[in-house]
Amino acid sequence: MGTNNSTLLPHDQAHLISAETGFSPKQLQRLYTRFQGLDKRKPPSGYLTREDLLEIREVALNPLGQRLVDVMIQDHGNANRIDFRQFAAILARFRRGKPTNELNAKEKKLLFLFSMYDRNHDSEIDRNELLDILKLMVGGNIHDEQLGTIADHTIEELDADGDLTITFEEFCKTLENIDVDEKMSMKFLN
Amino acid sequence: MYQNKHSIFLIILLGFIIHKYYCKEQTYEHKPNKPLRFHVAEFNFDHVSDVYAITLWILLGSLAKIGFHLSHRLTEKFPESCLLIILGLIVGGLLYVTHLTEQKAYVLNSDTFFLFLLPPIILEAGYFMPNRPFFDNLGTILLLAIVNTLFNTICIGLTLWGFQFTPLYGGTEFEMLPCLVFAALISAVDPVAVLATFSEIHVNDMLYIVVFGESLLNDAVSVVLYRMFASFANIGQPNIIVMDIVLGCLSFFVVALGGVLIGIIFGVIGCFTTKFTEHTPVLEPLIVLVYAYLAYLTSEMVSVSGILAITFCGMVMKQYVSFNISKKSDATTEYVLKMLSSIMETIIFMFMGLSTVSDSHSWNTGFVFMTVLLCLVFRVIGIAIFANIANCWRLLELTRIDMLIMSYGGLRGAIAFALALVLDEAKIARKKEFVTATIAVVFFTVFIQGITIGPLVKLLNVRRKQIEEPTMSAKLTNRMMDHVMTCLEEISGSGGSNSLRDRVRNLDRNYFKRWLLREPPDRKDIKLLQTFKKINTLTAMRVHDTARGLVPSASTATVQQGMPEHHHLRSHSAYGNVSELIAANLPENTVPDLMSYENHEGEHHHNDAEMHHFLDTNLYSARPRAAIHLRNQDETGSSDDGTHARFEKSYHHRDQRYLPTRLERELPHGPKTISKTVHNANRPIGLKNSSPKHTRSPPTTHQQLNPRSRSRSIAAHQNSPIPSGQRTKSISKDSRISPLASTHIENEGTGRTAVERSRPWRHLSVTEETGASSSKTANIPLANGNDPNLHHIPLTVADFGGTYTKSPEYMGEYATTTKPEEPSSRPDVRDIFNKQSDDVSEQQDDGSTESITRL
Repeated sequence: MGTNNSTLLPHDQAHLISAETGFSPKQLQRLYTRFQGLDKRKPPSGYLTREDLLEIREVALNPLGQRLVDVMIQDHGNANRIDFRQFAAILARFRRGKPTNELNAKEKKLLFLFSMYDRNHDSEIDRNELLDILKLMVGGNIHDEQLGTIADHTIEELDADGDLTITFEEFCKTLENIDVDEKMSMKFLN
Repeated sequence: MYQNKHSIFLIILLGFIIHKYYCKEQTYEHKPNKPLRFHVAEFNFDHVSDVYAITLWILLGSLAKIGFHLSHRLTEKFPESCLLIILGLIVGGLLYVTHLTEQKAYVLNSDTFFLFLLPPIILEAGYFMPNRPFFDNLGTILLLAIVNTLFNTICIGLTLWGFQFTPLYGGTEFEMLPCLVFAALISAVDPVAVLATFSEIHVNDMLYIVVFGESLLNDAVSVVLYRMFASFANIGQPNIIVMDIVLGCLSFFVVALGGVLIGIIFGVIGCFTTKFTEHTPVLEPLIVLVYAYLAYLTSEMVSVSGILAITFCGMVMKQYVSFNISKKSDATTEYVLKMLSSIMETIIFMFMGLSTVSDSHSWNTGFVFMTVLLCLVFRVIGIAIFANIANCWRLLELTRIDMLIMSYGGLRGAIAFALALVLDEAKIARKKEFVTATIAVVFFTVFIQGITIGPLVKLLNVRRKQIEEPTMSAKLTNRMMDHVMTCLEEISGSGGSNSLRDRVRNLDRNYFKRWLLREPPDRKDIKLLQTFKKINTLTAMRVHDTARGLVPSASTATVQQGMPEHHHLRSHSAYGNVSELIAANLPENTVPDLMSYENHEGEHHHNDAEMHHFLDTNLYSARPRAAIHLRNQDETGSSDDGTHARFEKSYHHRDQRYLPTRLERELPHGPKTISKTVHNANRPIGLKNSSPKHTRSPPTTHQQLNPRSRSRSIAAHQNSPIPSGQRTKSISKDSRISPLASTHIENEGTGRTAVERSRPWRHLSVTEETGASSSKTANIPLANGNDPNLHHIPLTVADFGGTYTKSPEYMGEYATTTKPEEPSSRPDVRDIFNKQSDDVSEQQDDGSTESITRL
């Protein structure tokens, strides 16, 4: 999509996505420009791959950058690529403001967060998944077994039914006190 | 007996009479005709009068505070500040009647206020400033602090001046510039009052920080405006040229940025200094205080905003100093700050009440009324305007209710009052009216608004501050959100606050931490680990607290008595037992770490200090063992987070005094197996037998290092009488259906320290133990080995038991380890052991101490 016009998002597309995501056409246009900027292929292919996203220096440096890109590409794209509509849909979750449509509801944000952990898609976070995240975030030269202890502790905190895994419900419960809406919203420039 | 009392009374009376006689003689009746004699006692009040008065003030303030808090009904209804002002009024009334008011020590003078009373409060506020909410809301805060204050000043000043053309003031004339001066001092929200009030109503962080941040940062504006208008008043209205106004605006930037800069510079120097205080840890808290105070004084000297300077100085120092200085110093710093600011606040409010009772008043009903009204009205209008503007960029919008609380929380306080007192009556003719009006406004805001804001907050159902404990999951997820949002901002190409924060964080990690910390962190996320430690500490404290009231000696007795007793204890209330053990383990006279003193959360702070201290020693120590088990030498020396590494260092330091490092490396596995087998044998006799053998091995590891092994040995004690049937039961408990108590203990008691490293140890123990014994006991570690998430019971309760049978030497040792920085103060562990092994009568003690040295 959008391959013919390298600068402007086709009007019908804009309309459709705008209705879908709640972005204003202006915001969409801005995002689209960005999207194309990330798409380094000539001629622009209209999709982004994992590598494209990891080209962004800050993303590559971010401890969770790779994981995030994985989630974006694998869970929300298809065939290891992501087109603009999907791209916009992901970002729409984090759109600031009142949840006008389903997309930026709190639960969606939490689900996205949850999927950051849950890489084997079994709707549960198990110890290994938690440990992976911890390793990514703490990194450095900390011992695995120390991280393991932390992971155990965390699971214990969250785990209500004692099965040593964290379900989505359990996950949400602990985040009750955190202002997820505020924390996971960002401002999209007009 | 009765007669005795009588005679004592007589003697006292006699002494009193003599004393009185001589007093009179000395101070009041210098009769020249009486020959001078040597005086048994002298009364020399003049010599100490000023300091004495101040000290008495402090005492009175503290007693008053204590008294108020004895009555819950009183403090529930009235904020402390009100009560203090009332007390001040009463005392002031007394002094006024007795004509003591003329003495300067009894009234608030603005020099005392600005040089002594104010800085500690602001420093404390800055030091404990919740950085994250502060910077998240910085835009809003700045807007309110600068523009809103300006708006308020101009509006209030001009309106007040405008009303002099009406008959409202009863014909008293007010010039424009004095009105503006007055407006400048009256329109600034007062940090002291805000702190005092908001700390009692517990609104959410965001709301608090917006109001409080405004009150802190508007100081620059109000200082500039005040000074500008005051000097304009000096120059005289007709002589002002445009240049003056331009310069005035310019001076705002100088004052604000200058203050911030001075604060940061001193903060950085302070951090840098603490880099080298390793050998003089006693001075560390002083460093913090002195640099901060110096920042304040310096900026006052060059007349930039001292409040900004000391705030930022505190904020900068908090970031780095706490990594550098020892845990004790850190705790002391925090405690001293809290103490100072608390007492200063008390004194300020008392002085305000006191100074109200004086002759220098001139009540002008119209003016006072207008002032109060205008302050209220323009506060509301200003907030309404600027909060809405701020909402344009805020992620979390300020609701109507937020705005209401923000405007209602705009309290005026002692700063305004002190500024009013220094007005020059020669230049500003209406000083008395201004002072009176200021007092009226301050009293109005502190009393009426202060008392009603609590109920209002409840009524409007304002989101309250969640006094939540840090949970690992929350911290982790929070951090994760940050990362995700940063990433997404980068991807979407809209650089937002998250990206900015990330950049600042990187900068901080790459440069500032490197320069300012003794050991720069090489890990990505210290905070996560810190949280983990904090949780550990907190939970353990709770365990400890539940044990309060249990007599330690009882449990000691049980340990020393027969085994059935243990069994009983354990099955009965394992939970209580552990805490008992912990409690018993703490020498009563250990200087407590005054850690985690938190506002208004007094539940577990009675014994937490001791608990904390106990954990502290244990927490770190477990680490080297983990390294040993990993058979990875590098790990021991690796610098992890700041504190840890510091400990590690001192630990090594000590080590080298005892034996060469090479030896240490070879040691760990051998002796461990021994103690393992001892445990497996599960007989106290086994312990006894093994003890002499153990003594021979050099004390590589340290006593405080090893809660696990200590407890392990006792686990052996306790386990021994238990029939195998019960053992299997305890195994089954392992599999996660374990009763709450047991899991609790695991996490909270042992867990904090040893569990951290328990897993690899257990894995190892599996292999070792299977080889060592085929007895049923071996199943326990096995069960654990199979399921790494399990903590098992025998380790739990009993684990701390070992600490109990400690010989006196151990206690001594323990006490000294509070300060890991001073290895020299530790007794030589080897000596202790040798002595102990010789002492046959203390075999059992030896056994446990020995097994400590084991691991």
